[in-house]
Amino acid sequence: MIKDLLERSIRNSRGYVEMRYHKRDTFSVSVKDGEIDALNSGSVAGVCSRVLLEGSFGFSSTTVVEKENVDRMLKDAYSLARASRAKKKRRVRLANVEPARDEFETLVKVDPRKADRLELVRMVIDTNREIRASSKSIVSDTVRLGVVDDELLFVSSEGAEIGQRIVRCLGVVTAIAREGGNIASAVDYVGEEGGLEAFKKTPLIEAGKTAAERAAKLVKVETAPGGTYSVVLEDKIVGLLAHEAVGHCSEADSVYGGSFLADKIGKRVASEKVTLVDDGRFPGGFGTMKYDDEGTPTGKTAVIEKGVARSFLHSRETAEHFKVVPTGNARAWDFEFDPIIRMRNTYIEPGRYTLEELVEGVKEGFLLKGGLAGQADFNGEFMFGTQEAVRIRNGRLGESLRGVTISGNAFEVLKNTDAVGRDFAMQIGMCGKEQQNYVGMGGGSLRTKLLLGGMR
Amino acid sequence: MRLAEPAGLAIKYSEKLGVDEVEAFAQSVRTSEVVIERGEIQNERVKTQRGIGVRVIKKKRLGFAFTSVLSKESIEQMCRNADSLASVSPPNPDWVSLPAAAKLPKTPLGTFDADTADMKADDVLKLALKGYEGAKALDKRVAIDEGKFSVVCGEAAVANSHGVEAEGRGTLLYGYIICAAKDKSEVSSMTFEYDITRCLKDFSPERIGRVAAERAVASLGSKAVASFTGTALLDYDVASDILLQPLAASVNADNIQRGRSLWAGKLGEEVASEKLTAADDGLMPKGIGSSSFDAEGVPSQKTRVITDGELVGFLHNSFTANKEKRHSTGNAFREGYNVPPRISVSNLVVKVGKKRLDDLIAMVDKGIIVKRFSGNVHPDSGEFSGIAKQASYIEKGEVKYSLKETMISGNSFQALKNIIEIGSETRPTMFQAYTPPILVDKINVVSK
Repeated sequence: MIKDLLERSIRNSRGYVEMRYHKRDTFSVSVKDGEIDALNSGSVAGVCSRVLLEGSFGFSSTTVVEKENVDRMLKDAYSLARASRAKKKRRVRLANVEPARDEFETLVKVDPRKADRLELVRMVIDTNREIRASSKSIVSDTVRLGVVDDELLFVSSEGAEIGQRIVRCLGVVTAIAREGGNIASAVDYVGEEGGLEAFKKTPLIEAGKTAAERAAKLVKVETAPGGTYSVVLEDKIVGLLAHEAVGHCSEADSVYGGSFLADKIGKRVASEKVTLVDDGRFPGGFGTMKYDDEGTPTGKTAVIEKGVARSFLHSRETAEHFKVVPTGNARAWDFEFDPIIRMRNTYIEPGRYTLEELVEGVKEGFLLKGGLAGQADFNGEFMFGTQEAVRIRNGRLGESLRGVTISGNAFEVLKNTDAVGRDFAMQIGMCGKEQQNYVGMGGGSLRTKLLLGGMR
Repeated sequence: MRLAEPAGLAIKYSEKLGVDEVEAFAQSVRTSEVVIERGEIQNERVKTQRGIGVRVIKKKRLGFAFTSVLSKESIEQMCRNADSLASVSPPNPDWVSLPAAAKLPKTPLGTFDADTADMKADDVLKLALKGYEGAKALDKRVAIDEGKFSVVCGEAAVANSHGVEAEGRGTLLYGYIICAAKDKSEVSSMTFEYDITRCLKDFSPERIGRVAAERAVASLGSKAVASFTGTALLDYDVASDILLQPLAASVNADNIQRGRSLWAGKLGEEVASEKLTAADDGLMPKGIGSSSFDAEGVPSQKTRVITDGELVGFLHNSFTANKEKRHSTGNAFREGYNVPPRISVSNLVVKVGKKRLDDLIAMVDKGIIVKRFSGNVHPDSGEFSGIAKQASYIEKGEVKYSLKETMISGNSFQALKNIIEIGSETRPTMFQAYTPPILVDKINVVSK
């Protein structure tokens, strides 16, 4: 058994050693304009070891899970730890974590391993057909369904032994509309951590309709103007704000680097309407796991509570440095990567306003809908794309315009957040910070001020 | 083990299963990398990614499967998997055939570098330290946030049931540094500088560090400028994002055939300024995307796409080429063995002009120079908007001051027509484009 092999290898080893085995099974269907691209299924597996020797980490991985290769991998990790020690100024120490012996599995009602693949293919084809039928102006669409089934094993020289199975289901739809010489595209996502029942709770067709309707609407209209405006962000994109503007700056490694939150614990950084949480156990959240990739149990971490900065996101290493309890944010994309500090499910807690009330408070501005890619620098400057900007005049919704990239300084945007809605949406996301990972991003709709990078 | 072996095994076994056609793509990539975080060596990694993907076709039904285990049992399991997927898949009426075997050109020079292939983890660490020193030595106000230096040595083999058998190898060095300058209470915008080369002797980590630091220091003392529409000098990476990415999407034959490209049906028409000439060159010596064959084993070639502003060609893989009864341009590309091929540029090469960067700046009456773009570009409609980072205001031919909280927006297709001049100094970008800085007119500059 793999577990026995790994445990035998780390027995009697020097310093601290952890090993992770990771097997990732994936299945995907993608249909382009009614025609199937290819059904794709496969498996990647491997094991890695990370050792901590006299304050220096060494890391190595292999795809051959046999004794000889595992032993050699461990030797490599040791020699890397030794070789790089002289070049590192910082001596790493790990915060104490009770070694767990536990099993965890995503709550799966309809197991993808036993799925009728033909049924999944039909779901994608049907979605595709409905998108085409929804509007004459839709000229092209791509519908993709994916299932990612991860089997994880964590063992450490401290005695931890944790098995986890994390199952994620996701669907992505892009629709392209054309009219005359104009073209517009829209994209929408559905999915959650869970079995195939995810597609019952968040049907692929919902994403299909959102994308198709939006593309058909936007092909007829102009792009939003540029400048600073009062805006309402719909619940589905508030997670991008939580993730990009604040989340990255609360990762303890960027705090070391001098993030804008660095000296703000206990201080007011946002309006009292803002409570921002990073939750490792959010039901169905794309970043949900019972243990992180250092074997630390995850939980709910309040980053900002009623406007006051409360906590950073930690690994065992940074928790020891800041003399706090590790928050379980050390995550690795797969066995080829060492864990680094990552968000899990980051969201702004809902408030008490209805969307109408949020809009009523805007004299001249926009309701922004549909997210696109984002990026953040640790000085608090962030941006993310929006797909649709609905004009607001004197508290009333007007015409839709094409969305643009918005930007702001996290500090100012959080201070200007004067109302949060009672609605709530948790979205799935991919975040690329040195290595990529699945995250959840959510929140209630909110009102603030932002710079729109639009047309003049 | 040679990768042709598992590829050959997959072909034979799939044929035994009774498929009409089969293609196998096997890959082995060894990466040594060093990560710098918070101005410190954070981690070193050595990893070998190996695997094989197989595409089978039965009565126009496609199945694809992959595995990271190259044993006989695992490969046979993968083939059975692909076969059973093809059996449940609906047919694709546009499917014609996998490519036939063809004579391959000579391997482009400078795509495999023995010095790079021989590098050990410790040598990569030395590169990272040089990059680090390059930034540190410039100015003590510079703080390095993040960096990564990777040395990649890869091999790939493609085979199919029509006799295609291609094998190749290549090396790549890649490094980046992200830093900011801090002066009293001011923190500059974050700079991101990188380089990609095939050969060790062309790779200068010191330069990456120095340029990242220079840009950080130069963006201190930033001011805002009132919104205006004017000339923008787009540095390599920005030109690549804003102008070349939509260009590449628009000459992608899959997008053309699916009505996703505004350039469909416009062959022979003027789509850009006459200053612009661009070609996809899969055989360019030392090109980061060069190889003698593509991901389907089709010979690589040079394909002109824009000549003096005129749209002259599109990029095909065998699927889109078969649909039009023509030859593939060798632009099939795979992100890895675990995904089927799609169309991509190999090296998208913009023909250089005569003016150096300073000469381009001298041409600007009122405008900005943008060295980093953090935003979104819609490759289909060409709309773009985002933050102009490491941007400076130019007036009467002189760089006046660096800008803060400034965004730019516009339409890439209009911008291609509004190209005023193309620079003379070229370099590769992460998008596999080789481009000089490009001066364009009528860009929206938006500030608070």
